[in-house]
Amino acid sequence: MTEPFTRSGDMVQVHLSRSEISVLEDLPELVAGEGDVGGRLAYTAHPGDAEAEARYLDLIGDDLDRLRAADRKAFAGGLGATSITLEVAEAWMRVVGEARIVLASRLGITEDGWEEEAERTRDPEMALLGYLGYLQDALVGALE
Amino acid sequence: MTTPTTAPVHHPESEQRDSLDQAWQVVVWNDPVNLMSYVVWVFRKLFGHPEHEATRLMLQVHHEGRAVVSSGPLEKAESDCHRLHHHGLWATLERV
Repeated sequence: MTEPFTRSGDMVQVHLSRSEISVLEDLPELVAGEGDVGGRLAYTAHPGDAEAEARYLDLIGDDLDRLRAADRKAFAGGLGATSITLEVAEAWMRVVGEARIVLASRLGITEDGWEEEAERTRDPEMALLGYLGYLQDALVGALE
Repeated sequence: MTTPTTAPVHHPESEQRDSLDQAWQVVVWNDPVNLMSYVVWVFRKLFGHPEHEATRLMLQVHHEGRAVVSSGPLEKAESDCHRLHHHGLWATLERV
């Protein structure tokens, strides 16, 4: 079985089928604002200290949203390419990771040990969660 | 021996300065979704840890539920926390 991503110097070679790319085309929408229905990606730096959190949010402004939007753009722009830069590969890794977090939230996953049940279910979102984990692990391997 | 007879004067600006200078630590919390390999990669990428140290921190998060991954003045700690959030890790700040 061919690895989905292989390193070649300063580039990452992409070995994805048309059907895999078709699945991945939906990820940017999944992780954009309305897809994260559980608010899992709405992080808090100062839990329990509203004043400090307000100051922090004022400091970072929309930087996190901007960075995520740039990642999604890099991800979408690289789909279908046979090779991507290391920077784009990192963006792919973050988008895939965010998609997994959103999917897990939708599936009600809150504790470790869910993988065994995932292997028994035929839920398509659970299957996608597993597939994206495979892809993200392959990206880590290619970027190490 | 004596005690102060005047009430302490409130200095909001100096309090803010103290808060900025005080040592803070960045805590990463366990979540059931992020891959162990990815978390190790993030710790290496963001903090320059060698693989064994990044792996030790990842395992501490996994087994103990949390680990302190960096510390320093508030400005640095918040920057580190922000970068961890950008990578999808559940991070918060605590005073040391």
